[in-house]
Amino acid sequence: MGVVRNVFKRKMRAFLTIFGITIGVFALVVMGGLAEKLNLLVDGGVDYYKDKVLITEGGSGAAVLGSSPITTDLVAEIEAIEGVELASAEVGMVLDDDPTAVTFGIPPMIVGDDLRWLEIPDAALRIADGRELTVDDSGVAVVGADLVAMLDAEVGGTIELRGETFEVVGIAEKTLAGTDTLVRVPMADAQRLFHATLPAALQDVLEPETLALQIVAYAADGVDADELATEIAASVEGISATGPEAFQAQVVDSMAMFNTIIFGVALVSLLVGGLSVINTMTMAVAERTREIGVRKAIGATSGAIMRQFVAESAVIGVTGGLLGLGLGWLTTLALNSAGDASATALFEVTTRLALGSVGFALVLGVLAGLYPAWHAARLDPVRALRYE
Amino acid sequence: MDPIVTVAGLTKRYRLGKDNYVDALRGASLEIARGEMVAIMGPSGSGKSTLMHIAGCLDRPDSGEVHLNGRRVDQLRGRALTTVRGREVGFIFQGFNLIPTMTALENVALAAEYAGASRRDAADKARSLLELVGLADRMRHAPTELSGGQQQRVAIARALVNDPAIVMGDEPTGDLDTATSAEIVGVMREINTERGTTFVLVTHNPEVAEVCDRTIHMRDGIVEAVTA
Ligand SMILES: Nc1ncnc2c1ncn2[C@@H]1O[C@H](COP(=O)(O)OP(=O)(O)O)[C@@H](O)[C@H]1O
Ligand SMILES: [Mg+2]
Repeated sequence: MGVVRNVFKRKMRAFLTIFGITIGVFALVVMGGLAEKLNLLVDGGVDYYKDKVLITEGGSGAAVLGSSPITTDLVAEIEAIEGVELASAEVGMVLDDDPTAVTFGIPPMIVGDDLRWLEIPDAALRIADGRELTVDDSGVAVVGADLVAMLDAEVGGTIELRGETFEVVGIAEKTLAGTDTLVRVPMADAQRLFHATLPAALQDVLEPETLALQIVAYAADGVDADELATEIAASVEGISATGPEAFQAQVVDSMAMFNTIIFGVALVSLLVGGLSVINTMTMAVAERTREIGVRKAIGATSGAIMRQFVAESAVIGVTGGLLGLGLGWLTTLALNSAGDASATALFEVTTRLALGSVGFALVLGVLAGLYPAWHAARLDPVRALRYE
Repeated sequence: MDPIVTVAGLTKRYRLGKDNYVDALRGASLEIARGEMVAIMGPSGSGKSTLMHIAGCLDRPDSGEVHLNGRRVDQLRGRALTTVRGREVGFIFQGFNLIPTMTALENVALAAEYAGASRRDAADKARSLLELVGLADRMRHAPTELSGGQQQRVAIARALVNDPAIVMGDEPTGDLDTATSAEIVGVMREINTERGTTFVLVTHNPEVAEVCDRTIHMRDGIVEAVTA
């Protein structure tokens, strides 16, 4: 009884102690939110790459950039390789043509492709509003969820992409992955825009109609995409082919390190908060020695005393946790909306992160309360009653 | 006589250092009858509080026997001791010792909850006892909003909430002025008469002893005399 009132009786001390936990949880929520968002991007990537081989120019045969550019002609050649279900050519470029613009995370992109992958079941992006592109389209765009605010896009309206006007025919559903920051346009439009970005010397040599930046080969059912990558690299000159393992090795492994560091930093600050809870509860027990004697005199068991103080400590933990979560969540919302203009939503406070942070603060409160509470529970009632 | 408390040959030594100790009790014996109201008097340090704590199951003697309400309790320890204390004994202290963050009602109900009553039953019992001690209109007040006399009435209600066989008061009027002191002793005497609850009151105040049936005089850790 009176758990909450006991905690808040010493207002300044309660505030400071709770604030210690709040800072820790705040750090956990904000930094964890960053890690969660990046994890989602990586998961999206893992999922995207798991049955695909990406073919880009380069490889052993490539001498200089552009000397052996990928063209859409390669699509047929790659599709002829055994184990390739389908191949699809893509052209992409960053959305922002200002080279000085710095973005953190994945920059928004303009992408065009031949839409051949639409034949693959479940491959299609879900469209939240409007429709998907078709092969007959021209001058239209499907906008990724995170770009809607930045481009002020709505279905039926128009947007400017590198000086050209496009009609928005669809808005993609939010995937939390890389596709949220893509504007997808018909292949020919993307080829034309891309061609315009090339140095004049290359513009003369290359035909926009056959330009491609990468070709995505879809592995047939039961075919290992990594083995397929090796095979494609061996049978086509001047390209490099990467399978899912390469992505795994580069991104997933460094992500694991990043996660460890971020959560480690946040946990350390939480543990410091936990120490201040131990300190506060120890002081509370000392101050209330006489009260503990009285409680025992009127029949409290040691267990009841223990529960009383652990409960008070848990209240400190949960209050600090909820405040930290609220503060952290508001901060990520503010940072995300500040990033809206450049479509860099960097933070995702997932349900598991929210529950986990508050749960951790609760557990920390309980653990921090255990020793002081145990100390209180085993006080000799007679001594405690004589205590001044 | 039907004794509610029998104490025989109690000793208790407190160690202060290696060769340094205090014999708080050196063979104290006494008997208190059911339904009695007795005072314990004696100089400071004569062992009154120690005797009361041991008889009330708050502490254990080094040797000697204690029977409380027909049961030998001097060997009990831990949880068994706590249970007997909670059910059979009510304590009242000099400094009132209410829990400052709780209302009068919650203070009284707490003792009932510790004895295993549900929250609701505890509150019901607490309410009727606060009415009994004349605090029907002060139940929701915090201790700091009550006078010394009112706080001690709350403490009396708290001591009674589990219907104990005996209530022990350690200088329960020590912090009260003469008039209030008489009033509080009057409340206890009334409860003693009407409900038959046994009261044992350690006191320095002859006027309190005057109201009681008998007075037990202690000196140097033993019961020196009993006067009617
Ligand atoms: N916990 C303790 N530690 C050491 N000495 C104690 C303790 N409790 C009581 N004493 C000593 O035992 C003696 C009897 O104390 P007490 O029973 O409180 O006497 P009274 O209540 O008659 O004043 C005193 O000398 C007191 O100082
Ligand atoms: Mg005393």
